[in-house]
Amino acid sequence: MIPVVVLTGFLGAGKTTLLKRLLRDPGYADSAVIINEYGEVPLDHDLLASSEETFVSTSTGCLCCVVRSDLAATLMDLHRRRRLGEVPAYKRVLIETSGLADPAPILHALMTEQPVLETHRLEAVATLVDALHGAAALERHPEAQRQVRLADRILLTKPDLADTTALRATLATLNPGAELRDVLHGAVPADWLLAAAPRTDEWLDATARHSANLGSVIIEREAPIPAMALTLWLQGLAEHLGTKLLRLKGLVCIAEAPEAPAVLHGIGHVMHAPAWLEAWPSADHRSRIVLIGQGIPPYWPLRLLDAIEEEVRAASALPG
Amino acid sequence: MTPPELRALLADSVALWSAEARVWVDGEAVRVGEIRVTAAAPEDLPIRWWLERPGQKRPCTSVLGLLRSLRNALGGGEAQKLRVV
Repeated sequence: MIPVVVLTGFLGAGKTTLLKRLLRDPGYADSAVIINEYGEVPLDHDLLASSEETFVSTSTGCLCCVVRSDLAATLMDLHRRRRLGEVPAYKRVLIETSGLADPAPILHALMTEQPVLETHRLEAVATLVDALHGAAALERHPEAQRQVRLADRILLTKPDLADTTALRATLATLNPGAELRDVLHGAVPADWLLAAAPRTDEWLDATARHSANLGSVIIEREAPIPAMALTLWLQGLAEHLGTKLLRLKGLVCIAEAPEAPAVLHGIGHVMHAPAWLEAWPSADHRSRIVLIGQGIPPYWPLRLLDAIEEEVRAASALPG
Repeated sequence: MTPPELRALLADSVALWSAEARVWVDGEAVRVGEIRVTAAAPEDLPIRWWLERPGQKRPCTSVLGLLRSLRNALGGGEAQKLRVV
């Protein structure tokens, strides 16, 4: 499986500057980069000087607006050429989105196109936010907010140019679970940016500290959850939240297999089949699930889970 | 689930669907506008919930089924199916 990291951020946030720097850094060697630009002429491609181990493929038009299979086609074409030896045997793919892109359809494509699913794995979403203009972009453009809400990591660029106190508070409100790092002149450690998005205690704890946030719903549960209840609950979320659910992540203690947690990961009505960690990352074995969304009544997911679990437990207690 | 707990779930659901209906506890039932929701008696299993409208009484075998029926009755829009990848 080839890991994919999505790099997003509003216009002028510094994505190209960052990529320019990354592609000269040995830590990012063996990367294929897909650049999506909004407009006819792929300027960013020309602005980037890649290293020998890295090459760049561009796609014009707004990636989030074109048919989702375009991204899949680009990825799979690269993959085919890699297999045939027509391009270097890259170890990862970086996708730079257009500044105007809503990343959700892009992530959706990565999670739903079957050939892509069989060959690629979404590793993380990194969103750049400009310290100087980021607050205005977040206020005026819903795309900028979506980019932040969907991020696993937020890179605060040009932090030396402005007082970022208010912006940091806004970012923490929009996405309390994301890791935030100041980035000066595109310098980002490869092992941080390229690492799989954290799905362990640190991430969940960081989110839980902001549980009053309206964009996030946190569910913590001491008792293990029956597998059937979890399945029905996810079905209920998909049915009734739909596109209101931007992202769902969680570690869940399944009643039938409590020795290790199941990892949940989903966007909208699309969920990854649960993956299992080898063991609990800490002594805390509570189920912890975070939903990031818009317009979700904060107690609805928990109330639904309670109701479903009650029914499942009652049914399993029936004789025969 | 007690009537107040059911009321809370249904009130949140109505808000989620952007439907317009007052939700309140009415004895052992919960009223959602003109719709009356009651828990089925144990002997009615596998029916768990009844959803009643004037001239119609609909059985539901689960809370998910109840929400689906209620959403349809309120015109809360098309639900999406879960897709696992």
